[in-house]
Amino acid sequence: MDAIAAGDAISDEKPVSKNTKNFTKSYTFRVILQGIITIWAATTFTFFLVRLLPGNPVSIRIDQLMQQGYTIEEARNQAATLFDFNPDEPMLQQYSTYMVNLVQGNLGTSITSAGTPVRDQILRFLPWTLISVGSALLISFSVGILLGIMIAYWRGGVLDNVITALASILSGIPDYVYAILIILIAGVQLQWFNVGEMRGGVTQGIPAGFTVEYISSVIKHALLPVITYLLATVGVWILSMKSSTISVLGEDYINVAKARGLSEGRILTAYVGRNAMLPLVTRLAISIGFVLSGSVIVERFFEYPGLGLQLARAVGARDYTTMQGIFLVITIGVIVSNILADLVMGWLDPRVSLEDN
Amino acid sequence: MIGFETVASPVGLIIGIVCGLIPLGVGLRYGHVKAGVWGFIACAVSGFACGFLGGLPMILMATAVVFSYAYVNKQDPFTSRQSLEEVNFEETTAEYVIRQFAAFGRTLRAMGIGLVRNKGGFIGFLGIMFFAIMSIFGPLVVEYEGSPRMDRRESPQSMTLFQLPSNEFPLGLDWQGRSILSHIVYGGQTLIVTSVQAGLMATLVAVLFGSLAALLGGFVDQILSAFSNFILTIPQFPLLLVLASILTFTSNFMLAVLLAALSWPTLMRAVRAQVLSLRERDYVEAAITLDLGLYHIIVREVFPNMVSYIAINFIFAIRAAMYALVGLVILGMVPLREPDWGIMIWNAQSRGAFYNPNAMMMAFAPIVAIALFQLSLILFTRSLEEIFNPRLRRGL
Repeated sequence: MDAIAAGDAISDEKPVSKNTKNFTKSYTFRVILQGIITIWAATTFTFFLVRLLPGNPVSIRIDQLMQQGYTIEEARNQAATLFDFNPDEPMLQQYSTYMVNLVQGNLGTSITSAGTPVRDQILRFLPWTLISVGSALLISFSVGILLGIMIAYWRGGVLDNVITALASILSGIPDYVYAILIILIAGVQLQWFNVGEMRGGVTQGIPAGFTVEYISSVIKHALLPVITYLLATVGVWILSMKSSTISVLGEDYINVAKARGLSEGRILTAYVGRNAMLPLVTRLAISIGFVLSGSVIVERFFEYPGLGLQLARAVGARDYTTMQGIFLVITIGVIVSNILADLVMGWLDPRVSLEDN
Repeated sequence: MIGFETVASPVGLIIGIVCGLIPLGVGLRYGHVKAGVWGFIACAVSGFACGFLGGLPMILMATAVVFSYAYVNKQDPFTSRQSLEEVNFEETTAEYVIRQFAAFGRTLRAMGIGLVRNKGGFIGFLGIMFFAIMSIFGPLVVEYEGSPRMDRRESPQSMTLFQLPSNEFPLGLDWQGRSILSHIVYGGQTLIVTSVQAGLMATLVAVLFGSLAALLGGFVDQILSAFSNFILTIPQFPLLLVLASILTFTSNFMLAVLLAALSWPTLMRAVRAQVLSLRERDYVEAAITLDLGLYHIIVREVFPNMVSYIAINFIFAIRAAMYALVGLVILGMVPLREPDWGIMIWNAQSRGAFYNPNAMMMAFAPIVAIALFQLSLILFTRSLEEIFNPRLRRGL
C-alpha cells in the first residue's frame, strides 16, 4: 500500500525513465530497513528474555551469590559486572546501555569461565561453524540443484524414481539421527574411522597456518558434521528443485527456445536452470537458520568446537551471558542472510523488486 | 475411564463392546451383517485402545458407514430405484437424519479409498498405526522394567550389563540390565502425545490467525504478519534451548504449549495466502452472488479446499514438535521421566554406550524408532491430499 502510494507520488513528480532506478533503490532500502528493524526486535527480545522473565538469570545469579554468603548489595554488584549492567539504573537506561554495548560488540563476560569476554569465545568458535555449515550448505545446494534439474528433465525414468524416493526418505529423517547413526554404525561397528580421533576441529599439536597438514586436518575433522548436514538437507533441495524445474518447463519461453533450435544444454542451463533456481535462493537463507539450529545437537555428538556446541554447553551450565551472546550472534546471522537473500533475489529477478508485498 | 486414554484397558474393552452393539444392531436391522460386524470390531478396538472418548466417535463413524451401505436415497432420481414419477421429495426428520448419516458414511468410505490409493502414503499410515498400536497395546504384552537388574550379568567377569539382542531380550539390555524392548514400547507414549498436542495447538492458532489476517486485512493483518515473520526469522531450536534453560516445565502440556507457540507462524502465513486466494475464486464469488449465506460459503466452499492443506501442515507441525522435543531431551534440557525414547539416547550418551560396540542397541533402537516415526509421518502426508481433497476423491 505504502509503496504504491510512494510510487504514485514519484511518478507524479519525476519522469518515467528515473522511476525504475528509484524503485530498485527503494526495494534495497526497504529490505535493509526491515532487516535492521528485525535485528533490533530480536536484541530487545533477548534483553527482556534474560532480565524480565520470572526466574530470570540475573535474579537467579543474585540468589546464588547470596547463598554463597554475599550480602544482597555485593551480590547485585557482582551480577551487574557479569552482565555488564547497573542494577540501580531504571530499566530503560539499562536497556540503552545494553544496546550501546551491543553495538560496540561488548557482550559481557562468561559466568562459568570467569574473565573470558563472551566476544572472544564467539570469535574463537564461530569459524568452525562457518566452515562446516557453510561448506555443507554449498555442497548440498549444488548437488541438489543438479540432481533436481536432471530428474525433472528426464522425469518418469528409472533415475527419477530412484532419486525421488531416496530424496523423500532422506528429507524425512532429522539431522541428529544421521549424526548418531554415523557414530554407531560407521564409527563403532564398522570401524571406518576412529570416533575419538575425529573429535575437535583439528588434530591437537598441528600448528595453525596455510600448510597442507593443517588444512587437511581441518577438512578431516569437518567431514562428519558436513556429511550429516548434507544428508539432512540434500533431499529437500532435490525435491524442491524438481518441482520448480517442472513448473518452469511448462513455460512458453521454453517452447520458443526449443523452436529456435537452441541446444539442449543451453536450454537447460540458461533458460530452465536459472529460472527454476530463483525460488530456491530465498530458501537457502531460511535453511541456514535450520542448519544452525541442528548444529547445536550435531556438534555436540561429534564434539565439534562450533557455536552450536558452545551454546549447548552454555545452556547446560546455565552460563547466561555466553548463552545470550551466542543466541544473538546466531539470530543476527540468520537475519543478515535473509537480507542478503532478498537482495540477491531482487538482483536476479527484477520482478521481485518491482512487486509490492 | 470417562476420557481419552492412550493405554489399553479392560474397562475400555467393555465400553468398546457396548459401543459396537450400535453399528452391529443397525447392520442386522438392515441386513448388512458384514458391515455391521466390521463396525462392531472397529468400535470394540477403538474403545479398548482409547476408552470412552475413543469409542464414542467410532460409533458415529461405524454407524454412518453401515447406513451408507443400507440406505438408498429415495429422493435422488439417479440412485433411487423408483421411477421419476414415484420419487418422493418429502421426508420426515428421521429420514433426513438417516440420509445425512449415509452421506457422511459415503464420504468416510471415499476417504478410506483415498488412504489406500497412494502406496507411499499408505505405508506411512501403516507406520504410524504400528507405533500407535505398539504404544497402546504393547503394555499388555511387554512388562516395563524400571529398576536395575544386576542379576543379568552375562558372566561374573563382565564389567557392564549391556547386551546385544538375543532370543530372550529381542533388543538387548541397557546399562542397568533392563530390556530395551520394554523401554521402546513404553517410551513413545509421552513423546507422541506431547508432539500431537503441540501440533494441534499450533494448527488451531495458525488457522485462526491466518483466516483472521486474510479476512480482516488492514491493521490486524499487518500486526499478525509482522509477528509471525519475527518468530520465523529467529532460529527455533536455539530459542527453545534458551527458553528451556530459563523456564521450568511443570508438565508436558506446558512444553507442548511452548513448542506450539514457536511453530504456528509457518502455517499461519500459508493459511493466510490460501484464504486470500480462495476468496477470489469463481465458485466462491458465485456462492456470494447466489447469497448462499456465510455458513454455507465457509463450510461448503472454502473449508473443503483447505482441509487437505491444513491436515498436511498439521502433520508437519507434529513432526517439528517431535524433532524439537527429542532434541531438547537429548541435550538434557527437559526433565522428562523414563521411559522415553529421547531419555534413552541421552542415557546412552552419558553412560558411554555410544562407543561400546556391545551397547549399540541402547542408542540405536530409539533412534531408529524416531526416524521411522518421522518418516511415516512424511510419507503419510502424500495420502492426505487424496483423502481430504473432494475433487480427488473417487465416487462410489
